[in-house]
Amino acid sequence: MKKVLAIARVALLRFLRDRSTVFFVFVLPIGIVMLIGAQFGGDFSPRLGVAAGDGPVATDIATRLKAEDSITVIEFETEDELLLAVERGNVSAGVSIPDDLDSALAIGDTGNVGFISRPDGVGPQLQVVVSEAVAGAAEQEMAVRFAVSKGADPIAAATAAAAVAPTIPNLTVETIVEGESLFPASMGQFDIGASSQLVLFMFLTGLTGSAALIQSRHLGMTTRMAGTPTSVRTIMAGEALGRFIIVFLQGIYIMAATTLLFGVGWGNPLGAAGTLVLFAAVGAGAAMLVGAIFRNDQQAGGVAIVAGIGLAAVGGSMLPIELFSDTLLRIARFTPHYWANDAFAQLVRHDASLVDILPQLGALAGFAFVLMAIASWRMRRVIAQAG
Amino acid sequence: MTNGRVLEATELKKSFGDIHAVRGVTFHIGVGETYGLLGPNGAGKTTSISMVSGLLQRDGGEVLLDGQSMTTTTLAPKQEIGLVPQDLAIYPDLTARENLRFFGHLYSMPKAELSKRIDEVLEVVGLSDRANDRSSEYSGGMKRRLNIGIGLLHRPKLLVLDEPTVGVDPQSRNAILESVEHLSSEGMAVLYTTHYMEEAERLCDRVGIIDQGEIKAEGTRRELIELIGQRDRIRITATGVNDATLADLRGLGGVDNVSPTDGSLDMLVSDAGAALPEAMRVLAAHGSGVSSVTVEEPDLEAVFLHLTGKALRD
Repeated sequence: MKKVLAIARVALLRFLRDRSTVFFVFVLPIGIVMLIGAQFGGDFSPRLGVAAGDGPVATDIATRLKAEDSITVIEFETEDELLLAVERGNVSAGVSIPDDLDSALAIGDTGNVGFISRPDGVGPQLQVVVSEAVAGAAEQEMAVRFAVSKGADPIAAATAAAAVAPTIPNLTVETIVEGESLFPASMGQFDIGASSQLVLFMFLTGLTGSAALIQSRHLGMTTRMAGTPTSVRTIMAGEALGRFIIVFLQGIYIMAATTLLFGVGWGNPLGAAGTLVLFAAVGAGAAMLVGAIFRNDQQAGGVAIVAGIGLAAVGGSMLPIELFSDTLLRIARFTPHYWANDAFAQLVRHDASLVDILPQLGALAGFAFVLMAIASWRMRRVIAQAG
Repeated sequence: MTNGRVLEATELKKSFGDIHAVRGVTFHIGVGETYGLLGPNGAGKTTSISMVSGLLQRDGGEVLLDGQSMTTTTLAPKQEIGLVPQDLAIYPDLTARENLRFFGHLYSMPKAELSKRIDEVLEVVGLSDRANDRSSEYSGGMKRRLNIGIGLLHRPKLLVLDEPTVGVDPQSRNAILESVEHLSSEGMAVLYTTHYMEEAERLCDRVGIIDQGEIKAEGTRRELIELIGQRDRIRITATGVNDATLADLRGLGGVDNVSPTDGSLDMLVSDAGAALPEAMRVLAAHGSGVSSVTVEEPDLEAVFLHLTGKALRD
């Protein structure tokens, strides 16, 4: 065991002395988590552009929209400016209130309020808010017109409508959500990004760590170790433990840093620790396998990036697995990332316990075992040939 | 230990596909003896010592180290051997002390003894004042010395040095040779491979001349030189030498061997006084321009030339 620890210690020491890897392992992941959290996870307030003409109704609509807490109103001078802003995505949607709205309504014509939105994003939701504001502003005018059409004096009708308007409830739009929410309201803005980036970076670190194994072989160190009274099994165990410690430390670091900096919750501590340990073992196994297969670290580095990013994408580190189609879910199950992401999803978003995620942990243990077994077999052959 | 022998290698064989790298190599090394394997690149030296060190599975033969059979999977005999590979095998991002400590752990050295022994080894290889610098900052010679130091650390009964002076500056080379002499004087058995005749002559008690995977001859320097009788070696630096020139030179009386090497000719002759004028006549007849001539007493290189028909540097 002392020899295993000695080999692992050297692997860790060499890793810590390489400043470039320290950046990629400790600095970059936190930066990415912060970026994702800032872009997608914050208090979202869609921007609505308003180009309002003169007149009480137009002013009333604009005032009602500005009073909405859930949106941010940006005012524009002309409809053209508004259109350009929507096209460029500077605002999510726009409302164009024509100058002649009041006069049109006054003479009994139909007044048109334009709503402009992009085909994607939050346009439909904003349309509901705008409809509510327009209806609220126009209802008094419509009531006067109705009274006049029935023979009432226009001035008397307007006075009466103004008097009762404050007591009449506005049109309201009620939104009903069916089914269970994919992401509970209690989730913080960084929670999704933190766990998925943890999985992505741990695996990437494991794979890129394979370069150190290949360097050891090229330096003749693996062969020289085999020339000491140290079995190949011990050498493999030491190298694997070294990789494991590096990946595990990175995982612990990301967990601690995101908790302290962004208030990320990781769910059940035992479950999170179990997932972390087993996924670190998967990362170490992948590193050993790549390190045993490839002849030079450039090859291994290229494969590490492609495999690390590719598996992360398929396994749910770039899009929450809750949003996966059934087909994609079936494919994703062949990646260790899926099981780790699913375990964290259950822990973080659904308050799962250690027992609840045992299937995911079992799958991760299986991945780690298979990767390590193939790597050991291959490395034995490599060491024998190197002698 | 058997019969005072630290190492007994018998009928070692190894092939890589169709290439027979080692074909029945046999030698032994006694306690405190320095044994040299002298041969050109590709002669089978490294393959032989890889089998001796338990790094390479042999196709045939036997290796006994201190009486214990050495294989790739047996661990106990490896405790008795200190391997210094031809290519540097050190971690460049660790200091000399860290490299030594790491291998000390692999040899299961007790902590207290290890610290003391590291200081001793650093002294022996002349790296005490740079012990805490990363080895990536060392000169080539210093790296070579650290490479050797790792092999000495656990006080092996047999130190195996595979061409330890390749690519080393003269000063470092001399320091390495002095270290080996010092270790040998302290009773450590040494297996030393080289293609430098001078090193084999200076260090080795006995030398095995190896070529094409076979030991052609073995013995002390005196014994080996006696194999070729009282022959002289003539080295001629000449231009315009072609196959016809070589054929005529080889046909001269008293000429045992002619080997062209890097613009010069090595001739092994029974009497330099008689052969030299004849050789000059042949060269002149072929229009060859001679720029220098050296006549030397027989040495191991001459023995190698005699046994294999080619120079060590071929």
